[in-house]
Amino acid sequence: MSSRRLRSRQSSSTRITEDQIIELVSKLQALLPESRIRGNDRVSASKVLQDTCNYIKSLHREVDDLSERLSQMLATTEMSSAQAAIIRNLLTQ
Amino acid sequence: MDAEAANRGTEDTHKSDACERERKRRRTGAHPQSLRWKSPTEQQSYSSKLLEALHHARRTSTSSSAANATPRSRAVREAADRVLAIAAKGRTRWSRAILSKCRTLKLRKKRVAVAFGRGRHRKPGFSSPAEAKNPPTLERKMKTLGRLVPGCQKLSFPSILEEASDYIAALQMQVRAMSALTEVLSSLGSSSPSSSDPNS
Repeated sequence: MSSRRLRSRQSSSTRITEDQIIELVSKLQALLPESRIRGNDRVSASKVLQDTCNYIKSLHREVDDLSERLSQMLATTEMSSAQAAIIRNLLTQ
Repeated sequence: MDAEAANRGTEDTHKSDACERERKRRRTGAHPQSLRWKSPTEQQSYSSKLLEALHHARRTSTSSSAANATPRSRAVREAADRVLAIAAKGRTRWSRAILSKCRTLKLRKKRVAVAFGRGRHRKPGFSSPAEAKNPPTLERKMKTLGRLVPGCQKLSFPSILEEASDYIAALQMQVRAMSALTEVLSSLGSSSPSSSDPNS
Protein backbone atom coordinates (compact mmCIF):
# COMPACT_ATOMS: atom_id res chain seq x y z
CA MET A 1 0.00 0.00 0.00
CA SER A 2 2.75 2.40 0.91
CA SER A 3 4.54 1.59 -2.35
CA ARG A 4 1.45 2.54 -4.32
CA ARG A 5 1.34 5.89 -2.57
CA LEU A 6 5.03 6.55 -3.15
CA ARG A 7 4.72 5.71 -6.83
CA SER A 8 1.75 7.99 -7.27
CA ARG A 9 3.62 10.88 -5.73
CA GLN A 10 6.49 10.54 -8.15
CA SER A 11 4.54 9.95 -11.35
CA SER A 12 2.06 12.74 -11.75
CA SER A 13 0.84 11.40 -15.06
CA THR A 14 -0.90 8.30 -13.63
CA ARG A 15 -4.60 8.58 -13.09
CA ILE A 16 -5.59 9.11 -9.49
CA THR A 17 -7.36 5.98 -8.31
CA GLU A 18 -10.50 6.01 -6.25
CA ASP A 19 -8.84 3.76 -3.71
CA GLN A 20 -6.02 6.19 -3.10
CA ILE A 21 -8.45 8.98 -2.43
CA ILE A 22 -10.54 6.83 -0.14
CA GLU A 23 -7.44 5.81 1.76
CA LEU A 24 -6.22 9.38 2.19
CA VAL A 25 -9.67 10.62 3.16
CA SER A 26 -9.96 7.93 5.81
CA LYS A 27 -6.52 8.85 7.12
CA LEU A 28 -7.64 12.46 7.36
CA GLN A 29 -10.80 11.41 9.08
CA ALA A 30 -8.82 9.48 11.67
CA LEU A 31 -7.10 12.70 12.68
CA LEU A 32 -10.30 14.62 13.21
CA PRO A 33 -11.53 14.78 16.78
CA GLU A 34 -15.08 13.73 15.87
CA SER A 35 -14.04 10.50 14.23
CA ARG A 36 -14.03 8.66 17.51
CA ILE A 37 -17.69 9.35 18.10
CA ARG A 38 -19.19 8.52 14.71
CA GLY A 39 -19.01 5.20 12.95
CA ASN A 40 -16.24 5.64 10.44
CA ASP A 41 -17.97 4.09 7.47
CA ARG A 42 -20.95 6.34 7.23
CA VAL A 43 -19.18 9.63 6.67
CA SER A 44 -18.90 10.92 3.11
CA ALA A 45 -15.75 12.39 1.64
CA SER A 46 -17.44 15.74 1.33
CA LYS A 47 -18.23 15.81 5.03
CA VAL A 48 -14.69 14.79 5.90
CA LEU A 49 -13.32 17.64 3.79
CA GLN A 50 -15.70 20.10 5.39
CA ASP A 51 -14.78 18.90 8.87
CA THR A 52 -11.10 19.04 7.99
CA CYS A 53 -11.35 22.65 6.82
CA ASN A 54 -13.24 23.61 9.97
CA TYR A 55 -10.78 21.75 12.14
CA ILE A 56 -7.76 23.44 10.58
CA LYS A 57 -9.41 26.83 11.02
CA SER A 58 -10.11 26.09 14.68
CA LEU A 59 -6.52 24.93 15.19
CA HIS A 60 -5.30 28.15 13.62
CA ARG A 61 -7.51 30.15 15.95
CA GLU A 62 -6.21 28.20 18.91
CA VAL A 63 -2.61 28.83 17.92
CA ASP A 64 -3.35 32.54 17.48
CA ASP A 65 -4.96 32.58 20.88
CA LEU A 66 -1.99 30.84 22.48
CA SER A 67 0.38 33.21 20.68
CA GLU A 68 -1.53 36.13 22.11
CA ARG A 69 -1.31 34.77 25.64
CA LEU A 70 2.34 33.83 25.25
CA SER A 71 3.24 37.27 23.95
CA GLN A 72 1.50 38.93 26.88
CA MET A 73 3.20 36.66 29.37
CA LEU A 74 6.61 37.13 27.79
CA ALA A 75 6.11 40.87 27.73
CA THR A 76 5.44 41.06 31.43
CA THR A 77 8.13 38.64 32.56
CA GLU A 78 11.68 39.51 31.70
CA MET A 79 13.30 36.17 31.10
CA SER A 80 16.99 35.70 31.75
CA SER A 81 18.85 32.81 30.19
CA ALA A 82 18.89 31.05 33.53
CA GLN A 83 15.13 31.23 33.73
CA ALA A 84 14.87 29.98 30.17
CA ALA A 85 16.93 26.95 31.16
CA ILE A 86 14.65 26.30 34.13
CA ILE A 87 11.60 26.51 31.90
CA ARG A 88 13.15 24.12 29.45
CA ASN A 89 13.74 21.63 32.23
CA LEU A 90 10.19 21.95 33.40
CA LEU A 91 8.96 21.24 29.90
CA THR A 92 10.92 18.05 29.56
CA GLN A 93 9.56 16.43 32.67
CA MET B 1 15.85 8.22 11.25
CA ASP B 2 12.71 6.57 12.57
CA ALA B 3 14.80 3.95 14.35
CA GLU B 4 16.57 6.78 16.10
CA ALA B 5 13.30 8.29 17.14
CA ALA B 6 12.21 4.91 18.44
CA ASN B 7 15.41 4.59 20.44
CA ARG B 8 14.94 8.01 21.92
CA GLY B 9 11.49 6.91 22.92
CA THR B 10 12.85 3.94 24.80
CA GLU B 11 15.24 6.19 26.66
CA ASP B 12 12.24 8.04 27.96
CA THR B 13 10.87 4.72 29.23
CA HIS B 14 8.14 4.79 26.64
CA LYS B 15 9.04 1.36 25.39
CA SER B 16 5.45 0.30 24.87
CA ASP B 17 4.77 3.45 22.88
CA ALA B 18 7.74 2.84 20.63
CA CYS B 19 6.72 -0.79 20.05
CA GLU B 20 3.17 0.28 19.32
CA ARG B 21 4.39 2.88 16.88
CA GLU B 22 6.48 0.33 15.05
CA ARG B 23 3.61 -2.12 14.92
CA LYS B 24 1.30 0.59 13.64
CA ARG B 25 3.81 1.55 11.00
CA ARG B 26 4.16 -1.99 9.73
CA ARG B 27 0.47 -2.69 9.81
CA THR B 28 -0.91 0.35 8.07
CA GLY B 29 2.17 1.31 6.10
CA ALA B 30 1.43 4.80 7.35
CA HIS B 31 3.75 7.67 6.59
CA PRO B 32 6.08 7.72 9.63
CA GLN B 33 6.16 11.51 9.50
CA SER B 34 2.57 11.86 10.76
CA LEU B 35 3.21 9.61 13.71
CA ARG B 36 6.31 11.59 14.64
CA TRP B 37 4.13 14.51 15.65
CA LYS B 38 2.58 12.39 18.37
CA SER B 39 5.83 11.47 20.10
CA PRO B 40 6.52 13.32 23.35
CA THR B 41 10.19 13.68 22.39
CA GLU B 42 9.20 15.63 19.31
CA GLN B 43 6.96 17.87 21.35
CA GLN B 44 9.63 18.54 23.93
CA SER B 45 12.20 19.33 21.28
CA TYR B 46 9.72 21.70 19.66
CA SER B 47 8.93 23.36 22.99
CA SER B 48 12.54 24.09 23.82
CA LYS B 49 13.33 25.33 20.32
CA LEU B 50 10.28 27.55 20.43
CA LEU B 51 11.37 28.93 23.78
CA GLU B 52 14.80 29.70 22.39
CA ALA B 53 13.32 31.40 19.35
CA LEU B 54 10.98 33.51 21.47
CA HIS B 55 13.78 34.45 23.86
CA HIS B 56 15.98 35.40 20.93
CA ALA B 57 13.19 37.36 19.26
CA ARG B 58 12.58 39.33 22.44
CA ARG B 59 16.24 40.21 22.76
CA THR B 60 16.48 41.44 19.18
CA SER B 61 13.20 43.32 19.32
CA THR B 62 14.21 45.29 22.41
CA SER B 63 17.46 46.35 20.77
CA SER B 64 15.87 47.50 17.50
CA SER B 65 12.54 49.23 17.24
CA ALA B 66 11.08 46.57 14.99
CA ALA B 67 8.33 45.85 17.48
CA ASN B 68 6.24 48.60 15.95
CA ALA B 69 5.89 46.84 12.63
CA THR B 70 4.56 43.51 13.89
CA PRO B 71 2.38 43.14 16.97
CA ARG B 72 3.91 40.82 19.56
CA SER B 73 1.34 38.06 19.15
CA ARG B 74 1.98 38.01 15.41
CA ALA B 75 5.71 37.67 16.09
CA VAL B 76 5.05 34.78 18.46
CA ARG B 77 2.77 33.08 15.91
CA GLU B 78 5.36 33.44 13.18
CA ALA B 79 8.12 32.10 15.41
CA ALA B 80 5.93 29.14 16.37
CA ASP B 81 5.14 28.38 12.74
CA ARG B 82 8.75 28.75 11.72
CA VAL B 83 10.01 26.36 14.41
CA LEU B 84 7.24 23.94 13.46
CA ALA B 85 8.24 24.07 9.81
CA ILE B 86 11.86 23.45 10.75
CA ALA B 87 10.81 20.48 12.84
CA ALA B 88 9.25 18.99 9.71
CA LYS B 89 12.78 18.79 8.28
CA GLY B 90 11.76 19.91 4.81
CA ARG B 91 9.84 16.76 4.03
CA THR B 92 6.51 18.40 3.43
CA ARG B 93 5.35 21.11 1.12
CA TRP B 94 3.58 23.13 3.79
CA SER B 95 6.75 23.35 5.89
CA ARG B 96 8.83 24.52 2.95
CA ALA B 97 6.15 27.07 2.08
CA ILE B 98 6.19 28.49 5.60
CA LEU B 99 9.97 28.80 5.59
CA SER B 100 10.09 30.47 2.18
CA LYS B 101 7.35 32.86 3.30
CA CYS B 102 9.45 33.88 6.31
CA ARG B 103 12.50 34.57 4.24
CA THR B 104 11.03 36.72 1.45
CA LEU B 105 11.06 40.44 2.00
CA LYS B 106 7.89 40.74 -0.05
CA LEU B 107 6.01 39.57 2.99
CA ARG B 108 4.03 42.78 3.42
CA LYS B 109 3.10 42.98 -0.24
CA LYS B 110 2.01 39.37 -0.16
CA ARG B 111 -0.18 40.02 2.83
CA VAL B 112 -2.01 42.80 1.06
CA ALA B 113 -2.54 40.66 -2.01
CA VAL B 114 -3.77 37.76 0.05
CA ALA B 115 -6.12 40.02 1.98
CA PHE B 116 -7.72 41.14 -1.28
CA GLY B 117 -7.87 37.60 -2.56
CA ARG B 118 -9.46 36.36 0.62
CA GLY B 119 -12.01 39.16 0.56
CA ARG B 120 -13.12 38.09 -2.88
CA HIS B 121 -13.42 34.48 -1.98
CA ARG B 122 -15.48 35.15 1.10
CA LYS B 123 -18.44 36.31 -0.96
CA PRO B 124 -21.13 33.64 -0.96
CA GLY B 125 -22.46 32.28 -4.23
CA PHE B 126 -19.48 33.15 -6.31
CA SER B 127 -19.76 29.99 -8.39
CA SER B 128 -20.08 30.59 -12.12
CA PRO B 129 -23.34 29.37 -13.72
CA ALA B 130 -21.46 27.13 -16.11
CA GLU B 131 -19.82 25.03 -13.39
CA ALA B 132 -22.35 25.01 -10.61
CA LYS B 133 -24.49 21.92 -10.73
CA ASN B 134 -24.08 21.17 -7.01
CA PRO B 135 -22.81 24.34 -5.31
CA PRO B 136 -20.92 22.78 -2.38
CA THR B 137 -18.87 20.52 -4.61
CA LEU B 138 -16.02 18.34 -3.54
CA GLU B 139 -13.77 20.44 -5.73
CA ARG B 140 -14.64 23.68 -3.99
CA LYS B 141 -13.92 22.13 -0.62
CA MET B 142 -10.61 20.83 -1.89
CA LYS B 143 -9.75 24.35 -3.01
CA THR B 144 -10.64 25.72 0.41
CA LEU B 145 -8.50 23.07 2.02
CA GLY B 146 -5.68 23.87 -0.37
CA ARG B 147 -5.80 27.48 0.70
CA LEU B 148 -5.78 26.62 4.39
CA VAL B 149 -2.66 24.49 4.21
CA PRO B 150 0.32 26.71 3.36
CA GLY B 151 1.80 26.20 -0.07
CA CYS B 152 -0.86 23.81 -1.28
CA GLN B 153 -3.06 25.98 -3.42
CA LYS B 154 -2.52 24.31 -6.76
CA LEU B 155 -1.79 20.73 -5.81
CA SER B 156 -3.56 17.60 -6.94
CA PHE B 157 -6.21 15.88 -4.82
CA PRO B 158 -4.01 13.24 -3.20
CA SER B 159 -1.17 15.70 -2.54
CA ILE B 160 -3.46 18.11 -0.75
CA LEU B 161 -4.90 15.29 1.33
CA GLU B 162 -1.44 14.07 2.26
CA GLU B 163 -0.18 17.52 3.15
CA ALA B 164 -3.33 18.24 5.13
CA SER B 165 -2.94 15.05 7.17
CA ASP B 166 0.60 15.91 8.13
CA TYR B 167 -0.24 19.57 8.68
CA ILE B 168 -3.08 18.72 11.06
CA ALA B 169 -0.89 16.35 13.06
CA ALA B 170 1.80 19.04 13.27
CA LEU B 171 -0.71 21.70 14.31
CA GLN B 172 -2.04 19.44 17.05
CA MET B 173 1.47 19.10 18.41
CA GLN B 174 1.99 22.83 18.14
CA VAL B 175 -1.13 23.45 20.21
CA ARG B 176 -0.08 20.90 22.82
CA ALA B 177 3.42 22.35 23.09
CA MET B 178 2.29 25.97 23.27
CA SER B 179 -0.34 25.12 25.87
CA ALA B 180 2.30 23.39 27.99
CA LEU B 181 4.61 26.36 27.60
CA THR B 182 1.84 28.77 28.62
CA GLU B 183 1.10 26.70 31.70
CA VAL B 184 4.75 26.56 32.73
CA LEU B 185 5.16 30.31 32.25
CA SER B 186 1.98 31.12 34.12
CA SER B 187 2.94 28.91 37.04
CA LEU B 188 6.36 30.56 37.15
CA GLY B 189 4.82 33.99 36.95
CA SER B 190 2.39 33.35 39.77
CA SER B 191 4.90 31.71 42.10
CA SER B 192 7.64 34.32 41.91
CA PRO B 193 7.46 38.04 41.20
CA SER B 194 10.07 38.06 38.44
CA SER B 195 9.21 41.26 36.63
CA SER B 196 12.18 43.18 37.97
CA ASP B 197 15.39 44.17 36.18
CA PRO B 198 14.34 45.23 32.70
CA ASN B 199 17.18 45.04 30.18
CA SER B 200 16.80 48.50 28.69
